[in-house]
Amino acid sequence: MRRPNHLMLLLCVAALATGASGAQDKAGPTGGQESLLGIWVPDSAPRALLTAGGKAPPLTAEASKLYAERRQRLARGDAAFDPTSWCAGPGMPRILTMQYPLEIRADANRIAFIHGWYRWFRTVDMGAGAVDPPLPLTMGFPVGHWEKDTLVIRTVGLIDTTVMDASGLPHSEQLTLTERLRVLPDGRLEDRITIDDPENYTQPWETVVTFHRDAAARVTDDVCPDRMASGAPAEQVSPARKSASQSKPAAPQRTTTAKPIGTVAHFSGVWEPKTFGFMVPNAPLSPAGQEVVTRNAAAMQGGKIMQTAWVSCRPGAVSTMTMPREKIVILESADEVTLLFEMPRMVRRVRLNGSHPASLESSYVGDSIGRWEGGTLVVDTLGFNGYAELDARGQPTSARLHTVERFTPSADGNSIDIETTIEDPEYYTQPFTIKRSWKKSPARHPFEYDCMENPRQEDFENAYYVRERYRPVCMRVEGAGMELSKMVCRREQE
Amino acid sequence: MNSGLRIKSMLPWIMAVCLTRAATAHHSTAEFDYTRQVTIKGTVKEVQWTNPHSYIQLITDGDAGQKIQWSVEIGSPSLNINMGWRKNSVKAGDVVTMLLSPARNGKPYGTLRVLTFSDGQKLDGVAARVGAGPGGPPPAPAPGSATPPNKGP
Repeated sequence: MRRPNHLMLLLCVAALATGASGAQDKAGPTGGQESLLGIWVPDSAPRALLTAGGKAPPLTAEASKLYAERRQRLARGDAAFDPTSWCAGPGMPRILTMQYPLEIRADANRIAFIHGWYRWFRTVDMGAGAVDPPLPLTMGFPVGHWEKDTLVIRTVGLIDTTVMDASGLPHSEQLTLTERLRVLPDGRLEDRITIDDPENYTQPWETVVTFHRDAAARVTDDVCPDRMASGAPAEQVSPARKSASQSKPAAPQRTTTAKPIGTVAHFSGVWEPKTFGFMVPNAPLSPAGQEVVTRNAAAMQGGKIMQTAWVSCRPGAVSTMTMPREKIVILESADEVTLLFEMPRMVRRVRLNGSHPASLESSYVGDSIGRWEGGTLVVDTLGFNGYAELDARGQPTSARLHTVERFTPSADGNSIDIETTIEDPEYYTQPFTIKRSWKKSPARHPFEYDCMENPRQEDFENAYYVRERYRPVCMRVEGAGMELSKMVCRREQE
Repeated sequence: MNSGLRIKSMLPWIMAVCLTRAATAHHSTAEFDYTRQVTIKGTVKEVQWTNPHSYIQLITDGDAGQKIQWSVEIGSPSLNINMGWRKNSVKAGDVVTMLLSPARNGKPYGTLRVLTFSDGQKLDGVAARVGAGPGGPPPAPAPGSATPPNKGP
């Protein structure tokens, strides 16, 4: 199959904008796109990137000096030049070098890379025209197109506070990444990356990372601060990494992640809240719930700064229901609605026409299943872990939380009304319903909210922690005099 | 339905929240005393263009000639972009004057109202958008709440 032409893409977008349903998306996925979808596991997760020919990258003299300093720091056990060491965003291409699976999902408008490390994702806009980044971000502003069965992604707007790999290869904000992704004849996924950064490299150079299928692999709701609080490193490095030649042959693709939607989607696109909500008024608090809220209030009235799951960069999915913020990217396929939240950064997966498993492992995001009732998508979520507050007063939730969201698009397709019924007999005497609305966003990409980027010591000096788990693992401590700030992380078990 | 009334009663608070948006996403505004304004002048040591909040570290001269390091919250990347900042608007070594609302704890820590460069050009900080702020004219608390509003979740 040929890739969709521009006219067809425009028709798709127009159809999406009108919210039409049931019409066939004739463009559909290409063979190349279909083959890319699903979960991939890194073959080698290299700690230090080399050129495709296995040589050292062509660093400039100045960059070479910086890189040598970083290598020396690394040899002393100091990896603080890499933001991942305190759970902040790895950036590109660093995240492709981590020993975590990634999942590629797509619909007619964009391709999403959902990474297994701390809820990171990037969305590749498949529209025409270059982007003009208003500010650099860790994942940049990727724009893609198809060249036969190869997905070509050009990314600019990459912030220079990240590193290219775990060894500290530098890059500047002049960096342009051009990736060429294709499935090799042996079934592996190849991402051939051209690195063009004249500030740090004497010439553009190419590196290659490859991935294989693994039927057992899952992209889970990884929460880095919890891992660090338990004493584990921010980045798990598998001791027995596979080399490319050792990787498994292609396994059958998991059906739950494969097929992009064949019909025009209801919600596909970028959305933003119509209003920002911080309060859930008139929640029917039980005595136990009231006790928590009263305790929180007393701490705040005593001058303490309240620290919730949101503040400690571990928000639960219920926070996105009650306190929607910033942009939301939705991809729709025949078997799943995927919601990618900018703030708080979170990936929610809604399995369509499925059922909750008999035994649920609790998590921050819970287990969501969806079904269509006429033009309304009804999402039922169970399996929360109880570490989430409903609002800025710290109204609590428990593992007994059950939510039902009803997403109804407007007739013109430009907004979505969401009615969420919250049931939690631990803290509330009866179910109650809140309403929120999203509107179409003109943005081609979400921004990023890297909550762990700069946890400031000052923010936590006078803190009241709603739950002990919410204590920060890492804090930025200012240096005395002209000494620059640095991150200080604790590792002990809570 | 009384949702209209509820919304109306919360309007000042909602407006304050909307105006401050991302900048107040992370911590409570109880941290700063918005009724007070302090002017400091010094040399920029470091700019932290970061989430959840961006900061400028400013070195000033104390009364006794000692150097004082101020940590000044300026907003957040997405918020400041919307207010006309760019990532390199302020650089280490710049000499600037800052009008800020200080932390309640008396430490050299505050939230920026206005930054003025030596040539007179100005940039608004996040606190410029909240007027007297929640420490000024008290916004309506959430119904049933006995607490001061805590704008960050």
